[in-house]
Amino acid sequence: MERNLNLFFCLIFLLTCSITAQSQVNKVEVIKNSYGNFELQRNGKPYYIKGAGAKDHFDLLVKSGANSIRIWSTNNKELLDSAHKHNLTVTLGLHVRPERSGMDYDDEYAVKGQIEYLKNEVLKYKDHPALLVWGIGNEVDLRYSNFKVWETIEILAKFIKEVDPNHPTMTVIAGIDPSKAYYIKKYCPSVDILGLNVYGSIENAGANLRKYNWNKPYIVSEWGVNGPFEAKKTSWKAKVEPPNGLKAEQRLRRYQELIEKDKELCLGSYCFLWGQKQESTATWHGMFLSNGNPTEAVDVMQYCWTGEWPQSRAPSIKNISLENTGWRKDHTLAPSTQATLKIEYLKYNNEEIIVEYVLFPEAFSEKIGGDIQKSPDPINLEIVEQSNNELIFKSPEEKGAYRIFAFVKNKKNQSSVANIPFLVE
Amino acid sequence: MREVSVYEPSKEISQIDKFPYKTLFTSSDESGLWGVKNNTCKQVYFDTVNSYAGKDHLHIKWNASKCNYIGIGLKWANYKVKNLSPIIPSAAIELRVRVDSGFLSKIPMFFILEDYAGKQCRANVNYLNLEGGKIDAEWRRIRIPLQAFNYEKRKVNMSNIKELRLEFQRKGDLHIDNIIIVPHEHNYKKTKNKFVKVLETYPIRIGAGKEYWWGINTKHSSSPKFGDSFKYESVVFDLEVAKKDQWNTFGFSPYKWMHTDVSSIYTTSAITFKIKANELPKLQTILFAYKGEKRRLQITLNENNFVHKENGIHEAVLPLKSLMGHNEFRWDSLKEIRFKVLEGSDFEIGDFQLIEFRGNPKKPNEWRGI
Repeated sequence: MERNLNLFFCLIFLLTCSITAQSQVNKVEVIKNSYGNFELQRNGKPYYIKGAGAKDHFDLLVKSGANSIRIWSTNNKELLDSAHKHNLTVTLGLHVRPERSGMDYDDEYAVKGQIEYLKNEVLKYKDHPALLVWGIGNEVDLRYSNFKVWETIEILAKFIKEVDPNHPTMTVIAGIDPSKAYYIKKYCPSVDILGLNVYGSIENAGANLRKYNWNKPYIVSEWGVNGPFEAKKTSWKAKVEPPNGLKAEQRLRRYQELIEKDKELCLGSYCFLWGQKQESTATWHGMFLSNGNPTEAVDVMQYCWTGEWPQSRAPSIKNISLENTGWRKDHTLAPSTQATLKIEYLKYNNEEIIVEYVLFPEAFSEKIGGDIQKSPDPINLEIVEQSNNELIFKSPEEKGAYRIFAFVKNKKNQSSVANIPFLVE
Repeated sequence: MREVSVYEPSKEISQIDKFPYKTLFTSSDESGLWGVKNNTCKQVYFDTVNSYAGKDHLHIKWNASKCNYIGIGLKWANYKVKNLSPIIPSAAIELRVRVDSGFLSKIPMFFILEDYAGKQCRANVNYLNLEGGKIDAEWRRIRIPLQAFNYEKRKVNMSNIKELRLEFQRKGDLHIDNIIIVPHEHNYKKTKNKFVKVLETYPIRIGAGKEYWWGINTKHSSSPKFGDSFKYESVVFDLEVAKKDQWNTFGFSPYKWMHTDVSSIYTTSAITFKIKANELPKLQTILFAYKGEKRRLQITLNENNFVHKENGIHEAVLPLKSLMGHNEFRWDSLKEIRFKVLEGSDFEIGDFQLIEFRGNPKKPNEWRGI
């Protein structure tokens, strides 16, 4: 009986410990360290963000050396719980509707309704143990004309200061310019950190912040390769996407030379996107393919975060050409004619490489920012002959804009991809 | 007995009381609906269990991942013309909603009013009019004030309304019942964009206030810095050739980083400023707009832009019409004026104004008006 009682009390003790650990609020703050640099501290210890915009693949994320994820809205509590289980922190987005989605910041009713809703969301999540930073709004400045949106950001940031002293506030903008720096400084004094979504513009972001007299810390809240909105277009307005191998080199350089080096103001970064999404193509920003296979961008991020390459590396496509013309140029084919696609890739330490080719109709979209785009379905590809570096195929009979993809992978499904848009006329 | 005046007016009937078509949906047999045919993206049922009013209610499950549009329409009094104009200030569309389990605080559902010209305005569920701030297994009340519809922006004729549509996005599963028109007080205003400044009267001082300037931060670059040789804001450049990292660009907002509207005067306007230098620097001027397809105009200033004055002070005149592409530029939304030093190292630039200019844009220094 006494033994059973002891066992019972032990169980109660363990259960209590477990609940306490689950519900422990972690104190996060921005300080200036002894070098005069801004520093994020979590429970009194320096916390440099090695993060990714991510909703899944958390095991691989942790294995690759990351410590944090960024999510864009509060509509999925399971993500926070899952991140916490993986010992990842979360920059949690409060979805402030951008003007481009139809939100009218001169409409008191719409503004107040949104604020009250988001205040309620703050109360729901403020004590979550995974919470690191509040991300108030994402790219509300993109194609906006009513600067009143900054009043909403400030009301929310101020509210957070009142109810949650444990987590800093950040607002995330689509690149920096002097007017945005002015408005956020003037209208949002309760914002602690500036979040910068910067793709091509990451090259000058740090210098520009200083030129625009920004004097608080920043987080590179989205970064990666140059976006479709910055890409060269063909004469039929298809975006030209560089092969994965070149994109991987760009990622590595940007992390090492731009993000890591800014010790004074930068608190860390979230690479985009640890997952997959359609943005002009299905492979532009995603570090995974739509079937879940990781690309070489994952290997690059491991190297960035840990200084070591994974033992097994994805192959890397460095070049792709159609009819002996490189991927940067326009490509036009006649209907139902044979054409040759060539790829050049590095195998690294892989003995066997599997190559696949897939044809899609071009996915034109006028959407901007993170707005949702629909993926096209693949169409029949008539293969005449195929080797590991070359594909001879028959162009579609129907005139129109197409895009052909080459996928290479090793036995572990680590992949690289490249594509070429072409016009049949 | 109450004393009654012979001339006491009869009690006035409110506009909402006079409105005859207050019921949009109570049950499937009394209310006309279209778009209730099931497909891969949408399943519509008329559930008879746990209705709020009538013999059944609407139950819709949807997933928009493979469809561009998911919606159902309420024929609303069998498509009779509805004149909503008199009741806009005092009425709302009310409905009851619930889910089978769990709770939602947001639902991707929109309300669309369509007039007989096919024009549509929309409104969404606002947290302020969602009973209890959530949708759960209880029937919760939602109100959509008629004033919340963007009918003015969409030029919808609210006197000639044909139908109400419910549009669904993303994914969901919702029970809907008792869609009716009710009296409602909507105490919220729509204001005007206050971040617009119209400039009309010459001469106009531009760039007033150092907080509206950028490119000057002596913590990071010793040059440029603010000067004091002129009456208004000025910038001193002392670019040493050896120091490659010195900044060579600065800019300012014409007026407090607002949309500066010079659309009514730009064709007869020039930017003027002073330069104090022994040798004139080579400058590029760039104008930015907040809106429009063409958001950037630029020009490299030449000797025709300068009028020599005394004591090493030069006055520059840049007619806005001399900027290539000025016709396509949104002059109602001028954002920034920026200068890049292409050559030259030791000078001060300042006293920026917008003046009237009616001469030849290519030879501003020949105009007698200066």
